[in-house]
Amino acid sequence: MAKQSIYQSEIENLEESKNFLKKSDYSKLELQMEFKKLVENYEELIDQVKIITKISDRLQKKLNKTNIALEDSNIKLADLNDQLNETIDQLTEAKIGRKAATIVMIVAIALFIVSEAFIEPIIDNMFPNNFLVGLGLKLVVAILIKPGEDFTNKYMLKKARKEQLRESQLSHNNKP
Amino acid sequence: MDNLKIEGTKQTPEIDFNSSTGILSISGRSIPENTFEFFNPVLLWLDEFSSIAPEKVIAKINLEYFNTSSSKYILEILKRLRIILKDGKDILVEWYYEEDDEEMMETGEDYEDVSGLPFEIISIDDE
Repeated sequence: MAKQSIYQSEIENLEESKNFLKKSDYSKLELQMEFKKLVENYEELIDQVKIITKISDRLQKKLNKTNIALEDSNIKLADLNDQLNETIDQLTEAKIGRKAATIVMIVAIALFIVSEAFIEPIIDNMFPNNFLVGLGLKLVVAILIKPGEDFTNKYMLKKARKEQLRESQLSHNNKP
Repeated sequence: MDNLKIEGTKQTPEIDFNSSTGILSISGRSIPENTFEFFNPVLLWLDEFSSIAPEKVIAKINLEYFNTSSSKYILEILKRLRIILKDGKDILVEWYYEEDDEEMMETGEDYEDVSGLPFEIISIDDE
């Protein structure tokens, strides 16, 4: 019959032996029989302890191996994640760089058209014989193209990173 | 006699004991919070089964991992199979382990030594 606890059978065997000891009189044969039973139970218990300890140690080793493999996988996963983030950053930067260059180019063309159509005639009226003023204005616009592109690029990158951070925080908060 | 069927969970193994075919399967992981609560019905079933067991009984044990108290209960299960063997029935324990799981293979060998039951240690391919 199944017992109430994992070592119930062994506890019961011990109790039986203790009860035997409490008896005031017993024959030599009874004593021999009880001692034999006790030795057998003890032997079985030692065998069990030996095997359980051995198996337990071995399975602990298996657990340790699994933990080490898991740690290695986590490190590899973290490396891959870093590489992925780096690639995503590079792609985002390239995309934003192209967008910034387009915006600055459109602004430069618009400024050129505005300067040709509206500002140039005014300058010609104000300085009739000095073409250098008009040329200087165009030169200023040309010089401002590169810093303008850098500024736009930085601004858009900052905005994109803020957006990325917000999204990652949102997805982190939504995890169960 | 009813068959014994217990669905496996992340912490307890699947038990599928068939009294008429004599095929007793244990598979999965055995780390129950209360091992007595889990294994007591299994041992009670085996106590009853020992008196009506068919001529051939095959115990298929395919465990991925088990804790120390489960290892004691596996011994108890094997002890009951030993009683059936002593009654003159044909018993075979099929101990399954994954190909690269050296620890589980050796554990099967230890149980074979201590139980005195005929064992077949069978390697299964990792998927």
